Amino acid sequence: MAKAYTPGLLVTRHKKHRIMRRLPIAGDVQVKVNQQVTADDIVAETNLPGDVHPINLANTMSLPPADVVTCMLKAEGESIALDEPLAESKGLFGMFKTVVNSRYEGTVETVSPVTGQVIIRGAPLPVQVKAYMSGEVVNVTEGEGCEIEADVAYVQGIFGVGGEIQGNIKIACVSHDQDLDSDLIREDMKGCVVIGGARMTASSIRRAMEVGAAAIISGGIDDHDLKELLGYDLGVAITGRENLGITVIVTEGFGDISMAERTFEMLREFEGRLASVNGATQIRAGVMRPEIIVPLEAGPPPAASGKFEEGQLEVGRTLRVIRDPWFGMIGTVSGLPTEPHVLGSGSKARVLEVTFPSGEKAVVPRANVELIEE
Amino acid sequence: MTRVLCSLLILLGVAPCIAVGQVVDLAPPTDVAASDVPDDTGGQIAVKWGLSPQDRPAADGSNPVLSYVIYRKLVQTGRGLESGAETDAGAGEIIFTSDFDYEANRPVGSVPYSVTEFLDENVEGGVTYVYAVAAAGPGDSFSPLAVAAIPVTAKMQYINQGKLWFLIIMMVISIVIVYFVFYAKRGGKIKVRPIAGLEAVTEAVGRSTEMGKPVLFVPGILDINDIQTVAGITVLSNVARTAAQYDAELKVPTARSLVMTTARETVQAAYLGEGRPDAYNEDNIYYLTDEQFGYTAGVQGAMVREKPAACFYMGAFYAESLILAETANSIGAIQIAGTAMPSQLPFFVAACDYTLIGEEFFAASAYLSNDPEQLGSLKGQDVGKIIAAFLLILGCLLATLSTVLPAVAPLRMADLYIMNNVLGEDGLIPDEERVTMLNNEINELWEAQKAEPAIDEGAN
Amino acid sequence: MTNLDPDKIKVILATDCGSTTTKAILIQYVDGEYRQTHRGEAPTTVEKPFADVTMGVVNSVTEIAELAGRRLVGDDGRIISPATETDGCDIYISTSSAGGGLQMMVAGVIAEMTAASAKRAALGAGSIVMDVIAANDGRRPHDQIQRIRDLRPDMILISGGTDGGTTGKVVQISELVAPAKPQPRFGSDYSMPIIYAGNKDAREPVSEVFSEGGFDLQIVDNLRPVLERENLGPARDKIHDIFLEHVMAQAPGYDKLMGWTGAPIMPTPGAVGDILQTVARLQEINVVGVDIGGATTDVFSVFDETFNRTVSANLGMSYSISNVCAEATMPNVLRWVPFDMNERELRNHVKNKMIRPTTIPQTREALMFEQAVAREALRLAYKQHKEFATTLKGVQQQRTVGDTFSQQTSGQTIVDNMKLDLLVASGGVLSHAPRMHQTAMMLIDAFEPEGVTMLAKDSIFMMPHLGVLSSVHAKAAEQVFDRDCLVYLGTSVCAAGTPKPGKTCFKYELTGDRTASGEIIGGQMLLIPMAEGESGTISLAPARGIDLGEGPGKKVQKTVRGGTVGLILDGRGRTLTLPEDRSSCQSTVQGWLDALDVYAETTESMAV
Repeated sequence: MAKAYTPGLLVTRHKKHRIMRRLPIAGDVQVKVNQQVTADDIVAETNLPGDVHPINLANTMSLPPADVVTCMLKAEGESIALDEPLAESKGLFGMFKTVVNSRYEGTVETVSPVTGQVIIRGAPLPVQVKAYMSGEVVNVTEGEGCEIEADVAYVQGIFGVGGEIQGNIKIACVSHDQDLDSDLIREDMKGCVVIGGARMTASSIRRAMEVGAAAIISGGIDDHDLKELLGYDLGVAITGRENLGITVIVTEGFGDISMAERTFEMLREFEGRLASVNGATQIRAGVMRPEIIVPLEAGPPPAASGKFEEGQLEVGRTLRVIRDPWFGMIGTVSGLPTEPHVLGSGSKARVLEVTFPSGEKAVVPRANVELIEE
Repeated sequence: MTRVLCSLLILLGVAPCIAVGQVVDLAPPTDVAASDVPDDTGGQIAVKWGLSPQDRPAADGSNPVLSYVIYRKLVQTGRGLESGAETDAGAGEIIFTSDFDYEANRPVGSVPYSVTEFLDENVEGGVTYVYAVAAAGPGDSFSPLAVAAIPVTAKMQYINQGKLWFLIIMMVISIVIVYFVFYAKRGGKIKVRPIAGLEAVTEAVGRSTEMGKPVLFVPGILDINDIQTVAGITVLSNVARTAAQYDAELKVPTARSLVMTTARETVQAAYLGEGRPDAYNEDNIYYLTDEQFGYTAGVQGAMVREKPAACFYMGAFYAESLILAETANSIGAIQIAGTAMPSQLPFFVAACDYTLIGEEFFAASAYLSNDPEQLGSLKGQDVGKIIAAFLLILGCLLATLSTVLPAVAPLRMADLYIMNNVLGEDGLIPDEERVTMLNNEINELWEAQKAEPAIDEGAN
Repeated sequence: MTNLDPDKIKVILATDCGSTTTKAILIQYVDGEYRQTHRGEAPTTVEKPFADVTMGVVNSVTEIAELAGRRLVGDDGRIISPATETDGCDIYISTSSAGGGLQMMVAGVIAEMTAASAKRAALGAGSIVMDVIAANDGRRPHDQIQRIRDLRPDMILISGGTDGGTTGKVVQISELVAPAKPQPRFGSDYSMPIIYAGNKDAREPVSEVFSEGGFDLQIVDNLRPVLERENLGPARDKIHDIFLEHVMAQAPGYDKLMGWTGAPIMPTPGAVGDILQTVARLQEINVVGVDIGGATTDVFSVFDETFNRTVSANLGMSYSISNVCAEATMPNVLRWVPFDMNERELRNHVKNKMIRPTTIPQTREALMFEQAVAREALRLAYKQHKEFATTLKGVQQQRTVGDTFSQQTSGQTIVDNMKLDLLVASGGVLSHAPRMHQTAMMLIDAFEPEGVTMLAKDSIFMMPHLGVLSSVHAKAAEQVFDRDCLVYLGTSVCAAGTPKPGKTCFKYELTGDRTASGEIIGGQMLLIPMAEGESGTISLAPARGIDLGEGPGKKVQKTVRGGTVGLILDGRGRTLTLPEDRSSCQSTVQGWLDALDVYAETTESMAV
């Protein structure tokens, strides 16, 4: 087998990271190439067309649709205020006229002679796109958005809820395998990105929301606690639009699981620095994982370790088992048998042999491990 | 004024009997007795007597007694004289005296000869009367008065014993209804059989929208006081809601102005309820004419001109049913009819896509609203119908069996009980007289049967 | 695109780029017939960091090449074509559902009528229908506009009105779509394709509505010219055209892939539908096919030559596993598991599968749980399918007085389990189950077939490949389908009705290659071994009220065919009910599993 691709989550101390900031519809990009931006800067702005309100004048005025046009007091494109007369019927010899007032504010967009419907468009809704990550604008697509690049430390989580936010990193747990409980959340964590160790409890998330933390990050979370936090049972892992007031990210998975030691140590190193955090997760085609970005001073990228090719299974590589019965355990590859192996479930699958730090060895399907990128 | 007229009428009615107040030699009736009529509101007294010995045809075929005349007198109570009627009938005179003036006193009534009872329905409750009966012969001759021994007072009874079974059945059904209403309110599931015609409302209205044609709703030709029209309006409300959702044009021609007003209200409320007040057009619900065939012609014309894609007929229909249904069928409309007119149902069934038959039509409102109160009462009524059907079958069986086997006492008794107590007015306890009569009859039958085999044996 | 003489095609390479895996098969002309000889798999590489679908294709083809000992990928990274004696293939074809497949939004006037027809057309073409906009969908116009704005479909299909029917409503729907200015999913550098397949009288006003604002309006014949008839062909073809022209061209690497293939790339589900319809037509049978994937479950049915397809978004075994558990509820899932499980662990376990969708169960317990979830996912998907696959609504009925008390509404489901002849399973959890018995059991539990039904599985999900192949080389497709595609599991004989527990449900007598006779009691299941290729005749005498195909209590005689599992006799009745009580439910389920030998003991220990 030439290439055995087993993706892992990216955790790196230093990389050149580029993000695309894009408007939902065409608008103005307010930055130029080579401009330095900070996370809070607005890089692009536009007005979303306002809400559309159809009014059926043909019915309201008991008219054939084709006659509606002749009764309009406002032409297409004219603006109209609330309760301002919109149309008036011809009446009988100039008497018994019916006047219809607009129930909406906006501009008359169309008057349809086919349906007798008038469409009034409300005021445009301004939309602003922030830089999200401090760095340098490297590319501008006029009218659409820009690309920002920076040297960053980058941690990919496995799952998160909540959207983009910034804050200073604050470490709450002393070690990577300590549960994050509510007593570890302190008042001075307001606006901070709180880093925990192993499982975060529901009470710790509530407490973090109370003190006004920007984000809370730890190794694992119980499904039950997540359900309590969201108020519903999450069906598909497409998140990022929750309005919780806090962004929650787990780096490893559900249940009692500690954060990878390397991740924890790296974040500890960056304590106090400003981090950009996004909990948006989309596990589907076009997979999106939650991320923690810590912008660094620009500098030459560190020499690539070069020990292993990215995404390549080889003897000696560190990996994590991601399915029971050894869920969450970290070990090294000690054998890569080529022949498919019959599992306890009775299925045949390609496997590998992994050695855990305790010296115990196990045979695990290749599908059930993920590489820890170094 | 009225009283005078009344008196005049009474006078005219009884005039022949009392024209001359002369006592002739007629034997008076015997054993006069008056008694309060049981199980009433206290306005009746029954008077009974034995026939005058002369009340039989004489040799020439004529009867010396032509009728019996009933008189009454008020017995003075502490409250004094209260009844106005008594003044005419001889107030002041407390008791019947021997010099009773047949002419001056108006009788409370008279009955022909050989009748031995009279029901005085014009008495006042709580007042005590004494009754007397005289036999009247030809030529205004009267027998001496036979006076009832005991005065009588009409009393009101709170329960009509004769209708106890009615009460019991009504109570059972009411309790069942109340039970099911509460059951439904508590969230209990009451299953109403899907009524295809109502399920198809969305389909019919949807068809109209897709084809860009109106929906035509005909609420029958009777006025709003007819229960079928009311049921039709309930369905109209549902059709209007669907039309509002589906954005279909709904047209309702009516034959009565009141129905039009009600229909407008209903449709407007439905559109409002669906949040589409702008889609409501009052002009689409209009009055044509009260004339049955003028109306029919008008509706037919609308059908042919506008070619509605869905037609509803919900209400009371007569001869126009098939005219409408056939016309709409010829233009390819989906038709849903609902009526309780038995004579028109076959036409609708044959010509329409769906038909709500009688009871279904009335159940529609419960079915459509899903309102626990309506559903519960629907279910309770069903239980009532089951009880009625059960009694019906039981009664038929018993009646048949007791005719086939007239000598089996329990069967005859049960038949008697259902006929006279459950369905009749004998109350809970069988009437002794009837039981005795029945027993006698059965005994006779047994005797006859016993005798017959003996003859048979003899013959063998 | 190459036009090859079918007779010269000897080596066919086909790939299916799924959302997680790319599957390749090699079909070769061996000893006078076409056979599928090798297969290979590799993860799909549409997403970042690769963002080039051809990498996964090359990986999967490389695997075949290794197995077949035939060089298929050249040094330039392209598939070698045409073939020589030892290298390359004569034709390369592909289907695709990667990148989320073909995503569409459809609109019609009435949800149950033209909008339903439009949905059927879109689904039949193999797309995922993101939303259906209709005049009566219960949403206010501005909510509808908001929804259209939020969606980023690949294309929009608008229908509505019969020919000569409503114009106003169709224009009204268009007037909702146009100002919402929906953005295509991939990039903004091409116009949003809009297919109009509605009332022909409304073509002009609709074109006017879409004349500005960057739409690419295509007009085809009305898909519901009268309410009594559907005409889905033109709309379907147009969807395929646009799929190739616009959507595929935008997805990463597809422009390259399109250059390699010898036939148009088809959306995977569309190809599956094609092959099932062909089979149903040729063999004159009613077929239900199911493909349970990671995110969605597709159900296909052909009843009396009417084809229907539904996609149950969010019912799947990995991405959507959590949703299945939420929709079906945990107790419903656990009723199929004959042992106790810790609910908290289970919930975390389900979520972990959701966020790491590619993992496979390693232990027997994990497998049993996953198969329990599969039963519920299939059951829910089939339920949705039954609700969608109906006769046309809004049709005028012809009545006689005889119908007085039996008035049926139109729009009844056409899915009738009693008339079902063949049930085909595909998708990882069904076709990769360690034992075929598990597949058979899952199918029977979830679909509840009635009477005599053949069970089969598409072992390696070859149906999409064959669907495309049938358009290029029908003979080859037919031969491969017959010999290699379906793996017959056996025949199920299931009693419909409510059999009394402990009393006779039906008596049977089997003659032919195997002989057996006896009786099935209520609630019992029995497996009679009957190997693939064997067949026989079964005579069935059901108890009163039990239906086996000819009506309650009527005797039945049918030909049955063996398979890798055998003949399955099911006396549990329909609809299938399990005991409420947890422990008696466990023992009941265990009894069924034992009767069918579903989970044979495996002794191999995993620790080394």
